[in-house]
Parts: sequence; structure tokens; C-alpha cells
Amino acid sequence: MSLAAEAFVSQIAEDQILLSDSASSLAVQTFLRMCGLPVQVSCCANAEYMSPSGKVPFIHVGNQVVSELGPIVQFIKAKGHSLSDGLDDVQRAEMKAYMELVNNMLLTAELYIQWCDDYTATEISRPRYSSPYSWPLNHILAYQKQWEVRRKMNAIGWSGKNLEQVYEDVSQCCQALSQRLGTQPYFFNKQPTELDALVFGHLFTILTTQLTNDELAEKVKSYTNLLSFCHRIEQTYFKEHDRESQSGSSRHSKGSLP
Amino acid sequence: MAEPMELLCWGGDWDLPSVHTDSLIVLAYAKFSGAKLAVKSIDWTWRTITASVPQLHYEASTVTEPTQILNFLRKQRFNADYELTAKQGADTMAYIALLEEKLRPALLHTFWVDADNYANLTRPWFTSHSPFPLNFFVPGRQASLALSRILLTKAESPLLNITEVEGKIYSEAKECLNLLSHRLGNFHFFFGDTPTSLDAFVFGHIAPLIKAPLPSGQLQKHLNQLDNLCQFCNTILKNYFNASAEKRTDCSPTAIHDPVDANLQKLTQLVNKESNLIEKMDDNLRSSPQHRPNSTPPS
Repeated sequence: MSLAAEAFVSQIAEDQILLSDSASSLAVQTFLRMCGLPVQVSCCANAEYMSPSGKVPFIHVGNQVVSELGPIVQFIKAKGHSLSDGLDDVQRAEMKAYMELVNNMLLTAELYIQWCDDYTATEISRPRYSSPYSWPLNHILAYQKQWEVRRKMNAIGWSGKNLEQVYEDVSQCCQALSQRLGTQPYFFNKQPTELDALVFGHLFTILTTQLTNDELAEKVKSYTNLLSFCHRIEQTYFKEHDRESQSGSSRHSKGSLP
Repeated sequence: MAEPMELLCWGGDWDLPSVHTDSLIVLAYAKFSGAKLAVKSIDWTWRTITASVPQLHYEASTVTEPTQILNFLRKQRFNADYELTAKQGADTMAYIALLEEKLRPALLHTFWVDADNYANLTRPWFTSHSPFPLNFFVPGRQASLALSRILLTKAESPLLNITEVEGKIYSEAKECLNLLSHRLGNFHFFFGDTPTSLDAFVFGHIAPLIKAPLPSGQLQKHLNQLDNLCQFCNTILKNYFNASAEKRTDCSPTAIHDPVDANLQKLTQLVNKESNLIEKMDDNLRSSPQHRPNSTPPS
């Protein structure tokens, strides 16, 4: 079955979506654009429950539904499109390792800041997460989600960290990414891979989302090659949709990159 | 003069200086960087339940968690990563993240959740190395922590059951081991000829898996097929942990007999299972109503 049929990327609605979900969703969109596949984004409030694994985003191709970046990459590969074919075994090992680093550090830090930091949780996360629902469901769902995330943080040992340490971890992660990227256009020289899509998704979302303070964005901005990397990908893959899809994907964003 | 740094960790067995992954990481790094540590094992003390291990004590400050301890040692100028380039430092962080995400859940499962291994190896070991009455609590607590960690991080719905997660975590772990093996290639260590913190982390994770006499270890079998990783582990044990190396050189001829031993072990296990079954059947028969050897027949 060819992928001429459009892939629908389903994510949570613009008013409701949070930083971490928005980042994952953007990563998948970028990956599909890099493969040259037509993508349409559709948002619905219950996307989390529609997804087969409980996580957004998921893609809908024909009558198949696949969620999360890892399985989506495999699915697309099975259909004959792959970005990482040119890599040898050692490079593929490195790519997987760096993707885990981003998931481990950046995604976990995003979740921590959204749900474990009381101020952000009260001001931003809980109101946004529960916006489509009426009382009392909005309270119940928001607190349930917060409790789930806190349990997970506890299990992996992040609950003992304070905000400063989390920012420090994000900074180290960005430093590692910056050093790996160096002066190359993409992480594996000339060709973009799923790692580039994932990193772009997270960094762009961090840079353009307004949280209670700007410290997270400042940490990322201090690495100039990462900034220019994000600009480059934005120019190359998103310029035709330009303002429309970008301003649509995060209502509370500051717009495009400074 | 400065007192030596004191490290609290679990004791050693199976030719290893410690059976606990995080403790092994710190011990290995200390050897690589030349730091002198006074190692105190917490076996048979109350610290088995109160302390979070490994723990480094130095001049009234306490550091826990392997990453924090390694940072602390670096600040004290015991740095095994001195010669790494910036890119290699970044690679180190990435590979450590890979280990934590992909390999650790499967390791936790193999030692603490798999019923066979837990009942026959892990629990007896930890029970025998904890003081009374903690020996009732310590293994159970570790096991439930391990299970909750696996379920919370890997089991998203609909994989709510541990058995369904098993397949996923073992296949990810095998892939991770393959990736590490590709990356190591034919070198002695991951970055050239001197060991670094990445080598300490990899050693800490795979050494218990290689050395522990696990009754049911599919991951162990997979790892044994990756010769370069086994070689890596044995090299570190031989060069940096000499005391255990002496014991090992006495039994090196067993390397040739390993395939034979493996078959013999399998056969023995099968025979044991058969005899267990037969015993059970026998018990069932003896307790069945038709067969009462000691009671008087109803008259």
C-alpha cells in the first residue's frame, strides 16, 4: 500500500496541548516532511484516548493507526521510506543513543517542569489540560494526570530534584547535542535523520512556548549552533506552510524563532 | 591530612566486587581514575534498609547516585574522562541514557521480577546478606520498587500487564546489547585504550548479568553470544579487580567446557523439573481419597 494517501497526524487541540505533547507532535510532523510525505494535522480533545498506546501523537494512514515516534519510524520504513539507511552500524547505534538521551533528559525535564513544579502546574498545565471539560471532570482529570506524572518521576528518581537541577540537566543535554552537532548542517552530516526531527521538535517547542519564566528557553538559546539548526530546519521544511501551521500549533506561543 | 573517601555499597559475590549495578559503576570508576576508596559493605547491617546505596562519605558530605558520585570524584580531580574530546563526552552522555532506558528495565526484570531467578538466586542472596529481622523486608521492598519502575516507565496502556511488557523490554535490551557490541568493535574500551566513565557504566550493567548464576536467563544467553562484551568485562575484572582475578585464573580451563556444561545444566534442570512433577503427582495420589495407607479401612 503506497503512502500516497495522506497521513493524518492527530494531536490534542491547540488550546489544550502542553509543551511535551506539542514537542513530540512536532517531531513526528518534521520526520514525515523530511521523508517527503504529505501530512495533515488534525486536532481533537480526546486524542490521548484515541491513540493505541495512550500517547500522542499518532498517525492515521488508510486504516492503520500508529503512535509514537519509534513505531512510526519503523512503520514508514516498512513502507519503503527511510532516512537512516545510509548509516552504518556504529552510526545507527549513536543515533539511537542520542534519541534516548533526548527522551531521557529533555522529555522528562519538560514533564517535570509542567507537572511537578507547583507554580507552572497551577498556572498553565492544569487549566490547559482540563479546558475542554466541564466541572467536576476537569479537576479530576487534571489531578489524575498530575498524580500519574509524579509517580513516574518518583520511580525514576527525579522527584528528589529541584528546578535548578532540572535546568542544569537540560543545559548539559543541550551541551552534548551542541557538541555532537558541531558545525555540520545535520547530526549525521548532509542528510537529516529521525534524530534531527526529534531534536528539532523539542528545541523549537521549548524556544517558542511561553512558560511562567524564560529560563528553559534561555538555556537552549545559549547554544548558537542549535539555534541555527532550528532556523535551518524551519526554513527548509516548514516555509510553505509558514505562519499558518506554526501559530496554529501553539496558541500561546511567542511566534516564530527570534 | 585528608581522610580517605568512604564508599558504602553492597557486598560482592560471583567473582564480582559487588553484586549491585550502581555500586559496581562507582567501584569501577574509582579504579579507573585512581581514587582510593575505603569500601565498606552494608551487608549484615541496618543500613541495608536505611541507606540508599551507593553512598560516598567525605569530610562530612554525603553523595548518592552514581552520576552525582562520579561528578564529585571529578571535582576532587579524579577524572578518567580527561582525555576525551567534547564529542566523545557527548557520546558518553548519550550511551549512558541508552543504557538506562533500554537495558536497566530488563536487568531489573531478570533479577527481581522473573519468578525463577528471584526465588532461586536474588532473594536468597539478599536475605542471607541482611541482618535479622530485615531479611524479611529487604528483598521484597527491592522487588516491588523494581516492578513499579518497570510498569511506570514501560507499561503504557494497553500493556498494563507485566507479562506483556516483558516481550517489549527484553527485545529492547537485546537490541541495546547489540548496539553496544557494534560500538565496542574490537577495541579494549569504548574510547581507545584507557577506560572512561562510559566503560564503568557498561561494566556495572553487564557484569552481574554475565557472572550471576541465573536459573533462567534469556538475556544472559544473548549476552554470552556477544564475545567482545564478555571479553571487555573479563579484561576489566582481570586488570582492575585483581583479587577476583586470582580466583578466576584457577578456573579458566572451564572456558572450554562451557558448552558441555551448558548442555549438562539444561539436562539437569529438565531432570529436576521432571522429578518435581513426579513428586507432585505422587503427593496428589497419596492424598487422594482412594488411597489411605495409614487409616483403617471402613468396615
